[in-house]
Amino acid sequence: MQFDTHQLMRHFPELIQALGVTVWISTLSLAFGIVLGAFACLGKLSGAGVGYRFATGFIDFFRTIPEVVLIFWVYSCLPLLLSVRISSEGCGVIALSLFGGAYLAEIFRAGVLAVPHGQVEAARALAVPTFHIWRRVIVPPAIRRMMPAFITFLTELLKASSLLSAIGVGEMAYRASVLGAKTLSYFEFLSAIAVLYFLLIFPLSMLARQTEKRLLRRTGH
Amino acid sequence: MKSAVLARYAFPSSALTLLVVLSFFLNWELLLSLDFSVVWEYREVLWRGLLLTLLLTAAAGFLGLFFGTVLAIVSQSPIAVLRWLVAAYVEIWRNTPLLVQLIWIHFALPIVTGISTTALQSGIIGITLQASAYFTEIVRAGIEAVPKGQWEAAHALGLPARTRWLRVVLPPAIRIMIPPLVNLVISFFKATAILSVLQVSELMTVTNRISNVTFKPIELFTAVAVIYFILGYVMSRATLKIEHVLQRSER
Repeated sequence: MQFDTHQLMRHFPELIQALGVTVWISTLSLAFGIVLGAFACLGKLSGAGVGYRFATGFIDFFRTIPEVVLIFWVYSCLPLLLSVRISSEGCGVIALSLFGGAYLAEIFRAGVLAVPHGQVEAARALAVPTFHIWRRVIVPPAIRRMMPAFITFLTELLKASSLLSAIGVGEMAYRASVLGAKTLSYFEFLSAIAVLYFLLIFPLSMLARQTEKRLLRRTGH
Repeated sequence: MKSAVLARYAFPSSALTLLVVLSFFLNWELLLSLDFSVVWEYREVLWRGLLLTLLLTAAAGFLGLFFGTVLAIVSQSPIAVLRWLVAAYVEIWRNTPLLVQLIWIHFALPIVTGISTTALQSGIIGITLQASAYFTEIVRAGIEAVPKGQWEAAHALGLPARTRWLRVVLPPAIRIMIPPLVNLVISFFKATAILSVLQVSELMTVTNRISNVTFKPIELFTAVAVIYFILGYVMSRATLKIEHVLQRSER
């Protein structure tokens, strides 16, 4: 067989555009996921009561079911249940936000719990207002501590976004399949997006490993 | 103490408000007409799908562990080229989506090799290749956690490589590896659903097919989500138990 660079070059701008869709959908889902995750994290940290149970149920459920099942559920059930029309991109963002919210909640919680308890107690003893304890004492070190897990989650989110091709969102995997079928050069297009995904995800993995090493050196264990 | 008040009242009430608002948008007529008997009606097909899901999980687990262990042993080799090849293999399979790997193996690879594989074969190949990359990392970390002194002792006693690996290094390494290994198997249980893009006839594919015939997506997808949740939840609870037992036996 021959590697058909001509077809690939001709349609390359479309692949780059699809790469943009992948990044844009992941970014949107990340933003909503952070909000959901923060709420679920606070709920779980409250330790008891309705908020705790609600948050724990949310986190356990969306961390345990496969992403594909979640995506198909949102795509084929949610519009019916709410009797509204949702575009497939919208469904994709909703599903990935729920998935992201559940994972991020646990990442945030691990970060908050890693903050030395003595510092919070010291701030309390000094009668620092609760809001300021969160803003100045808990959040900055918590962010530093959760950074490796957070960046690893970004790689998972980018990988999960490829699953949206199953409901017809025009991101990279979908566009490559369509172009491959149209031009009959599956090999070229699928290899091209595999490389593009790798170029997108691998630097993040390296960054996660590096921040983890730096964190270990800093906290000293 | 404000935070306690916030946690006790603000979150439950906001969650409740959300539910109330949501309930206005819900299509109650549809919700009341849901008929879950379709799940029971197709129980045999679903059961066969679930069986294939579990088989695929087991295949990913066993084959992945086998090839992962082999690659991890190779990654300790004194020959730099071999180490580099293993590292490249692991990074490539870990840093691309499983879906892309699957469609690449199913649609692109046969063009090069001339051998076309069935969906099930492609699915097993894809999930095994990815699983072995993830397993390599875990087994390697386990091997590297075995104290250097043990290696040196094995060398000093002049033990052959086979005995050194099977009797000295791997047994303690495996004890360290068990919790991450079980977690990995759970994540591959979830990943088998991705094989539905190739129509592999596992639980998710079967559900899609039934839903296309019966026009009852809500009942079917909800029921299947619950099935996946229960199985996954039981497995992750069991992992926690195993971790506790292992921690206790170490003391």
